[in-house]
Amino acid sequence: MKRYLIVLSLLVVAGTAAQAKEHPGKAYIEKNGYRGPATCEAQGCHPGTAKAFLSTVHWKHASPVANVENLDPGKEYGMKNRIYTMCNGNDIVNNLKEIPPNPKTGKTKFTGCNACHPGNHISDAGSTGKDAENAVDCLVCHSSAYDFRLRKPYKDAAGRVVMGQDRTPKAALSVGKPGVKNCMVCHEAAGGGVLIKRGFAFVRETDVHAAKGMVCVDCHGAKDHKIPTGYDPNNWANDGVRVACSDCHGEKPHADEDTNRHVARIACQTCHIPRTGGATAKDFTRWTQGEDGFFEPTTLRMEANETTPVYAWYNKTVRNEPHFIGPKGSRGDKQSRIYPFKLYEGKAYFDKKTGMLLSMDFAPPMATGDTLAGVASAAKTLGIKEYDPVPGWQTVYFGSSHLVTKEKALSCANCHAPNGALNFKSLGYTDEEIRKLTSAALYFDKMAAKQKENW
Amino acid sequence: MKRFAIASMLFVVAVAAAGFLSPRAASAEDIKLVGVITQIDIAGPDATTATATLKDNKTGDLVTVIVTDELTLDKFKDHRIVTGDEIRLKYEVKDGKNTSKYFRKTAGC
Ligand code: HEC
Ligand code: HEC
Ligand code: HEC
Ligand code: HEC
Ligand code: HEC
Ligand code: HEC
Ligand code: HEC
Repeated sequence: MKRYLIVLSLLVVAGTAAQAKEHPGKAYIEKNGYRGPATCEAQGCHPGTAKAFLSTVHWKHASPVANVENLDPGKEYGMKNRIYTMCNGNDIVNNLKEIPPNPKTGKTKFTGCNACHPGNHISDAGSTGKDAENAVDCLVCHSSAYDFRLRKPYKDAAGRVVMGQDRTPKAALSVGKPGVKNCMVCHEAAGGGVLIKRGFAFVRETDVHAAKGMVCVDCHGAKDHKIPTGYDPNNWANDGVRVACSDCHGEKPHADEDTNRHVARIACQTCHIPRTGGATAKDFTRWTQGEDGFFEPTTLRMEANETTPVYAWYNKTVRNEPHFIGPKGSRGDKQSRIYPFKLYEGKAYFDKKTGMLLSMDFAPPMATGDTLAGVASAAKTLGIKEYDPVPGWQTVYFGSSHLVTKEKALSCANCHAPNGALNFKSLGYTDEEIRKLTSAALYFDKMAAKQKENW
Repeated sequence: MKRFAIASMLFVVAVAAAGFLSPRAASAEDIKLVGVITQIDIAGPDATTATATLKDNKTGDLVTVIVTDELTLDKFKDHRIVTGDEIRLKYEVKDGKNTSKYFRKTAGC
């Protein structure tokens, strides 16, 4: 609640404050140019920042994960090494590289998961030491004048694939608190293109907080670059800090006590994020050829707010099996609340011998459409000698924590109706209970009074 | 009879207009294409409108659209979208001008 008041008061002064303040060190940068983190740490400013950054999820693309079943407790997990069917690979098998030429056009391109890493690819996800420290792209998150023509993969003189950075004084002289755009450099296109993974457009029209001028770090505020996250069943890596709606709004944010009472069993998101978006299904076994000759995984796209969520009990622990990744929990478990999820189905190759999901190097199928060549390349990288690939489906539940609305929030009649938003039966209610829960008797007097008030 | 004549006249005009404005879709509908950007014109950092020319992958035709949405304009300004990028475009013809309604990089996984 205290946080809420702070953010609120900051919002009032935002704009003016941000523009009026000039970043110290201007003269130093004008004189010496910008040499990366060393410049940020010069003259006693921000000492040790780059070194500390190397231990965060944004650098490692991995962390210990405590709430997901069937994992090796001694290992770290994240985009670096996970395999699922939203993107059927990881930083290792799908390392940033130049793909083979397309047979039709003779053209090639650079692709790889670790393109979304704030290093230079020579110092890659999880690297350590002085070179790694020097490679951190501080400005991609902190500059408002970044020139993205410079943040492109290219081949250096030694033939290595390098991720470029904007280290011009112009970019360095425009540093400040990260804006929405800085975060969206990577987050907008996660999952294979703009808004594919979550349909998460953070704009006025789609989120009350964006409408109030809030930015990502107003909620995801970080100390030592440990950025708080939530408990999305499909974003495992975390910096050990969490953010929740109730951090700011408390558990009783409504004047209406009937609504407040629901918070014990129903997550805020369930009522306040009634729609989701992004891809609902992909097929990694058959790719689609684009007009440019290159192939892409066949994808059913949806815009922000175009998809109806599914609702399930969730106690913040995750069921993790080859054909299913999603929430654990039940009505009987008091730690569980009803949450909204985007249901996603991905088709990919599974190993008939082990039953496990196989991963894919995208370079071969992107050039020629040969998906089994992609599986073979990934298996080679991972040292898997024998496998028997068979197509199969995996169901994935994605958490839904943005696209917050007040006007369209679910109200009494949206749920307490026979054909309402919730499937009470699958949520574990008995027929007798359902008869009560789907009756207008629950809210009739209240709605009638409200109706009278509004007219 | 008079009503009929007016109606049929309007019909002829409508067909002509639709045919003229858009070879692929009725005039009321959005026109969709995938193409590569050949040119972006934007007045400067404070510009609230830009024009982009795309080469339609299917037909090879050049199509110029006006872009006014903030997010896309910002991507032109900081060069997150540049010439050579392949774009999935949806536009409508408003007052005789091609107006972008959806302008996204196609980039894949
Ligand atoms: C250079 C690309 C990039 C930028 C820029 C970026 N992110 Fe991320 N972010 C990622 C990737 C990749 C992951 C997933 C890593 C994983 O799970 O292994 C991630 C994960 C996260 C997570 C969940 C894990 C955690 O650390 O808690 C949050 C929250 C997050 N980012 C917020 C932000 C915010 C806020 C910003 C802007 C200040 C931002 N990101 C900027 C690439 C980026
Ligand atoms: C455009 C930037 C970008 C690219 C390219 C990208 N990712 Fe990610 N990825 C993210 C971000 C951001 C997150 C975390 C936030 C989220 O899940 O919304 C993430 C999360 C993940 C996760 C979940 C990690 C965890 O902690 O549980 C996996 C798995 C993953 N990505 C796989 C891939 C694979 C495989 C590829 C390449 C084929 C890829 N990603 C390419 C941005 C990217
Ligand atoms: C992935 C995005 C990202 C990258 C890369 C990044 N930062 Fe940050 N930085 C943040 C976020 C998020 C905050 C917290 C903002 C807030 O809470 O208002 C932050 C805060 C800061 C602060 C404020 C004080 C503090 O430590 O909390 C400084 C100074 C800073 N960063 C410097 C750097 C330097 C130097 C680098 C490069 C070594 C860097 N940042 C790289 C996202 C990033
Ligand atoms: C109003 C507060 C708020 C704002 C603003 C906000 N987030 Fe979040 N975000 C949350 C909360 C709360 C969660 C976690 C909820 C949970 O899982 O319980 C979350 C979760 C996440 C996650 C983890 C995956 C997921 O979707 O659950 C990522 C990544 C993330 N946010 C990135 C961003 C980025 C990038 C922005 C800006 C474009 C942003 N957030 C803006 C509150 C916010
Ligand atoms: C960092 C603090 C913070 C977090 C976390 C946060 N909010 Fe907010 N929220 C705010 C602030 C500040 C406002 C703007 C209040 C105002 O201007 O009246 C707001 C506004 C709202 C409103 C609109 C209120 C109105 O009267 O228009 C709703 C609804 C809301 N938040 C729900 C949520 C939900 C749901 C979550 C979790 C997904 C969440 N908030 C997370 C701070 C936060
Ligand atoms: C059972 C559904 C439901 C749940 C659960 C719920 N809300 Fe709400 N909330 C609503 C509705 C409906 C409104 C709009 C009230 C109105 O317009 O009178 C609302 C309004 C709000 C407002 C605006 C304040 C107001 O009274 O107008 C905020 C802030 C808010 N909710 C935050 C939250 C947070 C945070 C949580 C979780 C702790 C949460 N809500 C849980 C249904 C819900
Ligand atoms: C998101 C869907 C949802 C919304 C919106 C919602 N409810 Fe409920 N409501 C439920 C669920 C689920 C339960 C059962 C909770 C439990 O198991 O304890 C419930 C329980 C109740 C109960 C207790 C019934 C009993 O027999 O124990 C009452 C009374 C009630 N709701 C009234 C309301 C009123 C009044 C509103 C509007 C202000 C409202 N509900 C809005 C889902 C909702």
